[in-house]
Amino acid sequence: MLKNLELMSRKTKLRQESRFWTYMVNGWLIFFAIVSIIPMIWLLLAPSKEDADITNRHPLAFGSFGNYVKAWNNLQFFDNGVMFTWVVNSLWYTASIVVLATVTASMAGFVLSASNIRFKRSFLISTLITMLVPPMALVVPIFVLMDAISLMDRPIAVILVSSLYPFGVFLSYIYYTTTIPKELYESARLDGCNDFRLFTKIALPLSWPLISLLAFFAFIGNWANYFLPYILLPSSENFTLPIGLGFLFYSTPAINPGVGATSVPIYKPEIALAGVLIAVPIMIVFLISQKRLVRGMLAGSIKE
Amino acid sequence: MAKQKKVKSKNNFAMWVMFSPYLFLLIAFGLIPIIMAILEVPHESRVNPDGGWDAFLIVLQDFRFLPAVRNVLGFMAIFVPTTILFVIVMALMLDVNPTKWKKWLRMAYIVPAAISGAVAVLVWYALLQPAFSPIKEPLSWFGLTTSDQIWQTEKLVYIFAAMAFFAIAGNWILIQFGSLQSISGEVIEAARVDGCSAFQIALKIKLPLIKKYIVYMGVLIFAGGLQIFVEPQLIDSGIYSGIAESWSLDQLAFELAFTTGDFGGASALSLMLLVPSLLGALVVIFKTDMFEEAEVNSNKKVEA
Repeated sequence: MLKNLELMSRKTKLRQESRFWTYMVNGWLIFFAIVSIIPMIWLLLAPSKEDADITNRHPLAFGSFGNYVKAWNNLQFFDNGVMFTWVVNSLWYTASIVVLATVTASMAGFVLSASNIRFKRSFLISTLITMLVPPMALVVPIFVLMDAISLMDRPIAVILVSSLYPFGVFLSYIYYTTTIPKELYESARLDGCNDFRLFTKIALPLSWPLISLLAFFAFIGNWANYFLPYILLPSSENFTLPIGLGFLFYSTPAINPGVGATSVPIYKPEIALAGVLIAVPIMIVFLISQKRLVRGMLAGSIKE
Repeated sequence: MAKQKKVKSKNNFAMWVMFSPYLFLLIAFGLIPIIMAILEVPHESRVNPDGGWDAFLIVLQDFRFLPAVRNVLGFMAIFVPTTILFVIVMALMLDVNPTKWKKWLRMAYIVPAAISGAVAVLVWYALLQPAFSPIKEPLSWFGLTTSDQIWQTEKLVYIFAAMAFFAIAGNWILIQFGSLQSISGEVIEAARVDGCSAFQIALKIKLPLIKKYIVYMGVLIFAGGLQIFVEPQLIDSGIYSGIAESWSLDQLAFELAFTTGDFGGASALSLMLLVPSLLGALVVIFKTDMFEEAEVNSNKKVEA
């Protein structure tokens, strides 16, 4: 009831201001929404057209569904079908990172919340620092390390580095601290539950919302990641889709006039289709998980 | 007492086992790369034949360093304040907006976040190519009818600022909208009863109450902007050759390492770039109460 009243008061706020401002605000919000979706609509529609039609027809016109298939088939001509390998690479690297990162982060967050291990505060502070420093800042130093331990050009290097998930540890720590009462652990311990079982039988079954939050952020952070795999995986057969897309830019004349004509049928629709394969999964995940984005980014400061 | 101590240490053993995978990743890929980068700096190289810490000085005196600093600062001067201001205004507008389509607006705003990295380069290439751009009409209003008029080195700061803005603005609008939802309706209502207009409420009540989220956003946007790499790198290597060579500081670090083979210089530059990000992280952790739930701020802990 109180919540309804609150909502009503929020909703009536602007109506009490002048009608002019209401129209202005609404108009601007809608305008920005249209501006936001136009690039994605162009990207989705580009592979439906023939190369010439991308320039000749209206930028947002639809061609045919058959052209998507044609563009995909043409992509297979590039470097003996390496495109398919890139799709598979992207899928299995990201899946491995999501699983590893989610498992390690949820366990670490649980330990920080349910135990009194030594250096707990130092671990928390280092986690927060690592979380706030952009991963790109460490890419060259990580290259130096990987070169020294001979893990260059091995997918495991990207998977391991990307599985360091301090943001996930922080989210888990906050989740376990705020949703599972300490008394529950204590009574389970009195009943003879050891700490492994405390995690697997008590904490984990109560943390599916957390696991989905961790998987969401791990996925969006890694699916389109460019810098790290670009540096650590120089061989074409180890590329991910984003690195492969960059490779298509500079090795075909589709959008780079500097490259001479080739016999491979890679033109703008083919390049756009490669872009669609990267952007669409992440867009779908964003659209169905936008609440997770807000909840995750504000975790630890807003008490629900 | 002795028994209790024994039980506790046994429990902690299991806790350490569960914490160790994350701890391993944190040390291996968070700490060791920094140490290795520090050790790498004084190594002898072609540009630093005598070795030693002069590597820092040599990087600072590199003819590409100052232009890259100028580019990145110019880019940040446009991108950071514009994004922060725009996000705040949009979140406030969305908060007072009485329309029923709020859900759809939020969905639209999040769409550009799916267009990042290599895909963003592709989409912006298309957007700023008047021959087939979906925004060719608006471009023509400004007299921009050929790509040569747009893709010029001196205009890159604006282009990269626009790319970076669209990649993150939508996410942050949703997050700050979420932070505004945490403000109690009663506070707003009380201000309204006291005769405050929507603008006064936004300026005097809402903004001060979400200040810490704005600082948090500012630090993340600043740290991320400083590390700009993918956009100039791909534009330069994949589309308009030579337009953005060594344009950003991360690109320069990349060039030093992989073109010149000067890993000492690249490490020195990476370490210098790490400092502002680290300072930003420390400000957020210790000077705001963004992470109050994590209880890492010792003063707060004592008070509690």
